[in-house]
Amino acid sequence: MPLLVKVQSFLRNLIFTRRVDADLDQEVRSHLEMLIEEKIRAGMLSSEAQRAARIELGGVEQVKIHVRDSRTGAFLDSLVQDVRFAIRGLRRTAGLTAFVIITLALGIGMTSGMFSMVDALIFRPYPVPHPGSVVTLAGTTHDSMIEDFSYREYLDIRDKTKSYDGVIAYADMQAVGFSAEPAATPRVKGGMLVSGNFFHVLGVEPGLGRSFRDDEDRVPGRDAVVVLGADFWHHEFAADPGVVGRTVRLNGTPFTVIGVAPDSFPGLLTFGHPDFYMPLAMARTFSTNIEKNFFEDRDDRELKVKARLLPSATLARARNELGVVAKNFEHDYPDVTRSRGATVYTQFQARTTEDQNWRFGVVFVILALAVLLVACTNVAGLLLSRARERAREIALRLALGAGRLRLIRLLLTESLILATLGGVAGIAVGYGMIEWFHSKDAIIFATELPVAVPFQMDKRVLLVCIGLSVLSAFLCGLAPALQSTRLDLVNALKSADADVPGRKRLWGRNMLVVAQVAMSLMLLTASFLMARGFQHDLLVGTSFTKDHLLMANFDPRLIQYNAMQTQQFYKQLAERMRETPGVQSEALTQNIPLGTDDFDGLTFVPDGFTMPPDRENFASTMDTIDEGYFATMGIPILRGRAFLATDTADAPRVAIVNAHFAKHYWPGGDAVGKYIHLDNSAGVPVEIVGVAETIKYQTMTDPMDFVYMPLAQRPVARMVLMLRSSGDPLQLVQPVKDAVHSLDPNLPLLQTRAYREYYLNQAVRGPEIAIDLVGTMGLVGLLLAIAGLYGLVAYNVSRRTHEIGIRMALGAAGSDVLRMVMGKGIVLVAMGTALGLGMGFALEQLMNSMLFNSSGVDVVAYIIVVPTLFLVTMLATYVPARRASRIAPTQALRYE
Amino acid sequence: MSPEQTSLLQGTLDLLILKSLRAGEMHGLGVSRRIEQLTGGTFVVKPGSLFPALHRMEEEGWISAFWGESENNRRAKYYRLSKAGEKQLEAETKRWSRISLAIGQALEAS
Repeated sequence: MPLLVKVQSFLRNLIFTRRVDADLDQEVRSHLEMLIEEKIRAGMLSSEAQRAARIELGGVEQVKIHVRDSRTGAFLDSLVQDVRFAIRGLRRTAGLTAFVIITLALGIGMTSGMFSMVDALIFRPYPVPHPGSVVTLAGTTHDSMIEDFSYREYLDIRDKTKSYDGVIAYADMQAVGFSAEPAATPRVKGGMLVSGNFFHVLGVEPGLGRSFRDDEDRVPGRDAVVVLGADFWHHEFAADPGVVGRTVRLNGTPFTVIGVAPDSFPGLLTFGHPDFYMPLAMARTFSTNIEKNFFEDRDDRELKVKARLLPSATLARARNELGVVAKNFEHDYPDVTRSRGATVYTQFQARTTEDQNWRFGVVFVILALAVLLVACTNVAGLLLSRARERAREIALRLALGAGRLRLIRLLLTESLILATLGGVAGIAVGYGMIEWFHSKDAIIFATELPVAVPFQMDKRVLLVCIGLSVLSAFLCGLAPALQSTRLDLVNALKSADADVPGRKRLWGRNMLVVAQVAMSLMLLTASFLMARGFQHDLLVGTSFTKDHLLMANFDPRLIQYNAMQTQQFYKQLAERMRETPGVQSEALTQNIPLGTDDFDGLTFVPDGFTMPPDRENFASTMDTIDEGYFATMGIPILRGRAFLATDTADAPRVAIVNAHFAKHYWPGGDAVGKYIHLDNSAGVPVEIVGVAETIKYQTMTDPMDFVYMPLAQRPVARMVLMLRSSGDPLQLVQPVKDAVHSLDPNLPLLQTRAYREYYLNQAVRGPEIAIDLVGTMGLVGLLLAIAGLYGLVAYNVSRRTHEIGIRMALGAAGSDVLRMVMGKGIVLVAMGTALGLGMGFALEQLMNSMLFNSSGVDVVAYIIVVPTLFLVTMLATYVPARRASRIAPTQALRYE
Repeated sequence: MSPEQTSLLQGTLDLLILKSLRAGEMHGLGVSRRIEQLTGGTFVVKPGSLFPALHRMEEEGWISAFWGESENNRRAKYYRLSKAGEKQLEAETKRWSRISLAIGQALEAS
């Protein structure tokens, strides 16, 4: 009950402030009048009685103040007052306020936008209950710290470990031909093979129907059941609950829909959201490595393994346990598991190990934080000079007995309001930035699978926004608040400019300018380095032709072709295209250069090499191509020959390596005519018949070893058709469609597009996004620093107008004044530049090691950035300094 | 100003106000005069302490306020003891006698 009364009175005080106040006023006044009456009744004269009553009362206003302070929510009341006062003050200087808010918004928005990137890439927990106990089990080799497991290995790990409450496995999301009706032409969707215990172990309850039973992945090919993803269910089936029990076709095979994943579970992948999930036992229906037997071959490693750690188990114990299991693999199956280890990663470790893009995110966050810091120092500087202008007002308040703490609170309220507004605008900026990323979805992921930029303005990012706002409020506001309340009252009241003639006070502002110059130099350097890093990659070029190329993807397994039918299909397709007018040459390749899909890996031992005892083989990336590839792509053969039609399945096995590979293994010698053995030294010998020019393969960065194998000797299901056209490559789209349709009307074309377009998206526009981002940050940082410097000098000039007037009246020339005013600016800029150079070097080392795999100092960047910055900042001091030198002494002396 | 008149013990003021209102509803001045009378003039409550206390106690729900007519037909705010206030008075009285007993004992001990 009392609590209720208290809440009531709190609300009343808060809402009906005016009425409560009027009430109080009347009460005190009536009290005073009753006092007077009492005194008159006691025999005093009216005037005497009034005086005595007033003395006894002690002042109507004072009594009211005492009552107000004792009220519930008095703190809030004074806060509201502070806020009102601060808003009034800020509105008076609307321009300044707007500038500060925009400044902060840019800083806060950029930082939170960048944070959303890092969050999505490495921090955001899996969308499952108790995500912290989900760990990743991964194989390790000499070349990689995160490797997949084979089906057999997964089963052994699942059965032989005791640290987990369930071990799950899943394959990469892959293109699956989906049709809801048997007659419909299949469309490409993203499907994921998962172990039967996948949902159960993750603790994900189906939104509809049921999830897999454990026994549904025991017998290969028996249980054709599928669980739909929530998004897919909404879009494809309009969220129809009757979908459970229906039959759909996946790659031509009928599957029964048994359930739908809940909305809360978009999957475990960072980028992709699978449209549906199939049990591992159905793997044969989908694109697994056709050279291997998925269920039997221990080296057919296509599965990612995760597990839920038991509360009683520790990570260290789990690692030991898995290490022993891996050792046993090596012991029991030496042919296929030499020198392979295994380890257990936490979510954070797994994500940072498997994808290195988070490093960009971290560098971006660092840069964005630098922008925010520049913004904060700027705002602090502005508030400081404003506070000095208000010195007199503050001195008056202090003299009248205002508490210092109360004043500091008032001033902090002001910066808190600024930061709040800046934060709100910052959320908008961050949101805009994330939307901008989303608008680049199609550029970043040129694929038909359901993937998207995972950055989002969610609770976590909002929290960061709020945190940054509060932090910046204190960064900007505390120093000015502390300084302006520590005044020499007498001096402050006497003169309009309450500047203490010591150096201490200016020191703070000077430091701010130095910091600003330093940080914007660092930002500019970073953006320059990044731009140059990417540009270097682009300038080196790709060494192959990109124009007049059309690409078209196929996967005949989508409609259940067997290996022979598949190869037959490709053969016929190639023949058909060769006869098509407008086609100059045609080629088939497993992967296109700079594509989204990873190239296959190849393990081998060069003939005559003695492997070190702990090493079974070397690794390289590879591609499977047909005989038209080098001509179509314009990749020069440096030595030996290209593939020929005579390199058939029955002919001796041949391969072509790139120049990098040849130089790597046969430095000084000729690679042509040498042999490599596949898998290990006892493996199938393959003759190297040619050396091709080294081109760009997976990314625009460093060259790497590469091996080509002929399609006839290494059949692959999923190939890309490349056509060199005489005119616009897109004119060939229809002929390709016709040809495919005449070969098999059921076969879906995954995508057809001009390769140049694709290349631009993959290799040029992606980096451009990064350059844009960093460039924007550098520019914003520079603009803020210019504004800060200009503000400082201009303020100093206006403060010293009087003094300058005297100097000039006594005979100082305009140039003397100019030198005097600018001199200090130069010193500050020089200090900032020196500091910024140091920070720039440090950041360059960081970027080199994290992003570009290079070392050393990019002198050109500094040669351009440093003088530019110096010039621009000099200009920022020159403008107000020149104004000072033109001050007319008579006017200046009259000033005030 | 004699020390007795000013140094009202913390908590004592509440007790005295509750006690005065026990006799019936009255306005601020009435409470003030009643306290003087009850304590034989030892405690004089200044409006600067009285009104904050009254408002605070009203917010606690111990007393309730309403506007009424004074003896001289003047509009005045009156206060009245509530149920919760009576309970509070009882508790405060008990507490106070305990304290005064304890202090008395402490001072008598040599």
